[in-house]
Amino acid sequence: MEQFKTLSYDVLQVGETFVSDTKLVTPEDVEAYAFAVDDHHPWFLEDSPFGGPIAHPTILANQALHLRHSRYIVRAGLHAKMEFEFLEPIRPGMRARSRGTVVDKYERRGKPYMVTEYVTEAEDGTVLVRGRFTQMLFRD
Amino acid sequence: MSTIAADTAAPGVALPPLVKEISQRKIDVYSGVKPYSIHTDEAWARKKGFRAPLAQAMMSTAYVSELMTRFVGSGFVKGGAMSMVFIKPVYVGDRLTVHGVVKERQAEGSATRVIVDVWCENQDGEKTAVGTASGLIR
Repeated sequence: MEQFKTLSYDVLQVGETFVSDTKLVTPEDVEAYAFAVDDHHPWFLEDSPFGGPIAHPTILANQALHLRHSRYIVRAGLHAKMEFEFLEPIRPGMRARSRGTVVDKYERRGKPYMVTEYVTEAEDGTVLVRGRFTQMLFRD
Repeated sequence: MSTIAADTAAPGVALPPLVKEISQRKIDVYSGVKPYSIHTDEAWARKKGFRAPLAQAMMSTAYVSELMTRFVGSGFVKGGAMSMVFIKPVYVGDRLTVHGVVKERQAEGSATRVIVDVWCENQDGEKTAVGTASGLIR
């Protein structure tokens, strides 16, 4: 059973690790994402050079971004930086999860930041996306 | 939309820009509607100092992904990379234009990596996100 705390700079520890739940990527997820970002490329809905439809490369980015929500209550934050490496296509029907580690936290101009490195991988362990992101924390 | 051939595009070549209208409904679908969200709870966004709900910055990475997938094709989906810094909020009702200009071409094994300077600009001409993205031409 997880014990949730409200996220703050002081509570957060460099080296903390997070694991998301496993997500089944459905055709409906791909359709919803296409609507949300207004990208209806035929590869996402029909066929692609990879054989069958694929999902948008960034479709699971929020799974990674929300890793900290698996342990903390996060009332607000701002995304400052994002890096991706897209290693393998994400396909509808895949089950995927993200694992991340807090690799740094720092204060700049009075504002607190956290840096997370992560991978998103398929159920068979294939790494789909690797990335790193920096989030600003809000002080209450 | 016109296209630019990634296998020959030289540094300085501009990609066809994308235009994105930011609606609350799209933000809601992207982020999921929740209380205490600066994206989907207008009162909470104002309490946190914003004039309106914000689009998630990650939406801008999806726009750059679209720009690059249209440009490089499968070599972005498998082998692509992106590095973005988010410098201004994107609000509901904003109109973003997503730009890319070829920066350089680098040999990578038997392939060529095409690196593109990318940025998003709002209706007032202010940059909201800047960075680079790349894909492999095999």
